[in-house]
Amino acid sequence: MNKALEFSKKHGIAIITIVIFILLALTTEGFFTERNLRNILDQQSTILIAASFMTIVIISGNFDISVSAIFVVSPLFTLFVENATGNLFLGVLAGISIGLCMGAFNAIVVTYFKVNSFIATLATSFMFFGLGYLISDRSLMRPAGEAYQQIARTKIFDITSAAWLSLIVVIIASILLTRTRFGRNVFATGGNQEAARLAGINVARVQATTFILLGGAAALAGIVSSSRSISAQPSDDFSFVFAVLTAVIVGGTSIAGGKGAIWRTVAAAFFLAFMSNGFNLNQVDPLWQRIILGLVIVIAVAIDSWSQRRNV
Amino acid sequence: MEKRNNNVKTFISFDKVSKSFGATNALINCSVDFELGKIHSLVGENGAGKSTLGKLILGIYKLDSGAISIDGIPASFSSPTEAVKLGLVGISQELSLLPDRTVIDNIAMGRETTYGPFVSSNKTKEQVLKVMDKYDLHVDPEKIVGMLSVADQQKVEILRALNTNARLIVFDEPTARLAGHQVEQLHSLVRSLAKSGKAVIYISHYLEEILAISDTITLLRNGQKVRTESASNETRDSLIEGMTGRDVGSLFPEISKIDPNKDVLLKVNKLCRNNEFQDISFEIKKGEILGIAGLVGSGRSELALTIYGDRLPDSGSIEFCGNKVGLKGISDSVKLGMAIVPESRRDQGLMLERSLLENTSLPYLKRFASWLYGINKSQERKEVIDSCVETMVKHSGIEKEVQFLSGGNQQKVLFARAAMGKPKLLIADEPTRGVDIGSKQVIYELISQLSKVGEAVLLISSEVEEIIGIAHRTLVMSKGKVVAELSGSELKKSTIMEAAFKQ
Repeated sequence: MNKALEFSKKHGIAIITIVIFILLALTTEGFFTERNLRNILDQQSTILIAASFMTIVIISGNFDISVSAIFVVSPLFTLFVENATGNLFLGVLAGISIGLCMGAFNAIVVTYFKVNSFIATLATSFMFFGLGYLISDRSLMRPAGEAYQQIARTKIFDITSAAWLSLIVVIIASILLTRTRFGRNVFATGGNQEAARLAGINVARVQATTFILLGGAAALAGIVSSSRSISAQPSDDFSFVFAVLTAVIVGGTSIAGGKGAIWRTVAAAFFLAFMSNGFNLNQVDPLWQRIILGLVIVIAVAIDSWSQRRNV
Repeated sequence: MEKRNNNVKTFISFDKVSKSFGATNALINCSVDFELGKIHSLVGENGAGKSTLGKLILGIYKLDSGAISIDGIPASFSSPTEAVKLGLVGISQELSLLPDRTVIDNIAMGRETTYGPFVSSNKTKEQVLKVMDKYDLHVDPEKIVGMLSVADQQKVEILRALNTNARLIVFDEPTARLAGHQVEQLHSLVRSLAKSGKAVIYISHYLEEILAISDTITLLRNGQKVRTESASNETRDSLIEGMTGRDVGSLFPEISKIDPNKDVLLKVNKLCRNNEFQDISFEIKKGEILGIAGLVGSGRSELALTIYGDRLPDSGSIEFCGNKVGLKGISDSVKLGMAIVPESRRDQGLMLERSLLENTSLPYLKRFASWLYGINKSQERKEVIDSCVETMVKHSGIEKEVQFLSGGNQQKVLFARAAMGKPKLLIADEPTRGVDIGSKQVIYELISQLSKVGEAVLLISSEVEEIIGIAHRTLVMSKGKVVAELSGSELKKSTIMEAAFKQ
């Protein structure tokens, strides 16, 4: 009994995700079809790409709001270079590089100037959004060549390349976090920064690395998303980062740092996706969808904090 | 109300009280009476149940079974707020003050004098000053609490308790963060509180303190009461025997003599850091245990961290095995063969929510990691388990989080971590603070073992007995300077204390 409780505590989010999957499969017509599931997979790919590295940033004890801005700016820069050179490869390279650079800028502000990461990345968000308008001259951008849309839309074994890319990113992030020295250092830094420092870990370098990697991942997510819509547009839209954060937090990764896992984030992303897919198939009013979604997040986080309290 | 002068009145009494957390029984069928006007100490090892009992009184924990009565009337309360209303207040290890507010604000917190919805600053101040006068306990009322010394902050907390008309005050390890002379001041204050008719419960690890201050002592072991006895009938040895359930003999292991021809391992030359320490020079030989005594704030820990490479000195040099250190930071020092057991295991030592495995191997992961395959977990596990056996860490699996270990075992984890590096020099800063006697013995044994195999130890401690017990040689620091170097027969409590207080 006790073991079952412990197991469900540890794997709660995965169990809930499987339960909602089975429930929807049994009750909702059109849910358990190949097309629908492939769609969900495709739709979640951008969130999964950014959220797996966001998980690492949060475990190390930081926060990154600027993911939205990087998500917007990178495809603009990609198209800018692609339009200018006609070379898609150069464009993508430039897009990912600018993402890494923006991540590095965040890293400098947070680790060198010691600004609280939430505030620092909120401020850099505005800079990056502005950069987006600058690059695009405030207008919608389109790719010059046909190849751009193939980044996200190529089908391999009937599954879109966007989904494959997200799978690869999730696996890389998981290996980094659980199998390498870097991953251990991330957990140690988030768990107790001072203790990690005294154990000889270069805490600033660990945190900086997490920001840079997330910058690159957010850029890739932005390029995949714009490849899907074959265009990119400057905006001030913060909604992407909130979708990413929701997945990480509902998954149970501690905002305080030091605790969490990427499989949790992945499970939560699918839990949220199944839920909204179920709503749509059952034609629930979008107004109620929001209210229920919010409620579910509150309950998920409350259960998590309750179970942690009971631990002690 | 204070006119009640019949000093032996039972104020609060516990009848067969039990409390458990999950599978561990923190208190089993415990019956104790606490009297007004008396100082009643609780003594026991870590996990014996003394803090649990203290927290039950303060309404922080709810009891599972048993009864509490106050003034002979059955009482039940289940929150700190209700306990305060009944006159039960605690002064905790970690102070619970608002550091950015003034002394008045802190003392009056929750009991400000008001006109309707508005706080009257003048009346509130008057009220606070009245309490200060009544107990002859003064702190500058307009000062910001965060700027005060720890001792003054503690006074503020005591004043807050008095301002609530407390009748019983629980002191939980109040001297853990105080320097020697401040301890004396606190003790006279505690005595005067008892004299004015308050019931005082005093919880401490320091047996000398307990014997000096208490009227009554209750001994606890493994959650059960061993006995309640008048303090005059107890001695240090009888307390230790009661706490551990066995005759301890000597706490300290045999320390082997060091060969004066051994090589010098660490050479510190005229080391200075502004506002921290000045002109420190000394050497440590291989296998030597060098003690550093002195008050908290005398620059001991800062010196240790500088040697460890955490910060750069302003001037002077540190030579370790012939290499200059401090220039490339901590990771370099670790590579050269230094290890540290830092002053505060919670703040500087452990990742409490991570596993024993991760905590132990952290500085030495490079040994198990390769670029292609990542961390070799089986090799890591093997070495961590070996290290835990070597340092006698009691645990129920190395995958468990260290927060579930007792304080003594957490401290041993830090030694296990250090042992993984097979260091040439171990810097141990207050290695036995807040640790039970059983674990203390183990830690002393570990330190003496290190010395036997030729590793040097820099032992920083506020416990003079500890330094006398295991150090070959001792430097005494005061106000950032080395004021005495003692060894052999000069190593006595009186000489060390005299030097430590020298201006």
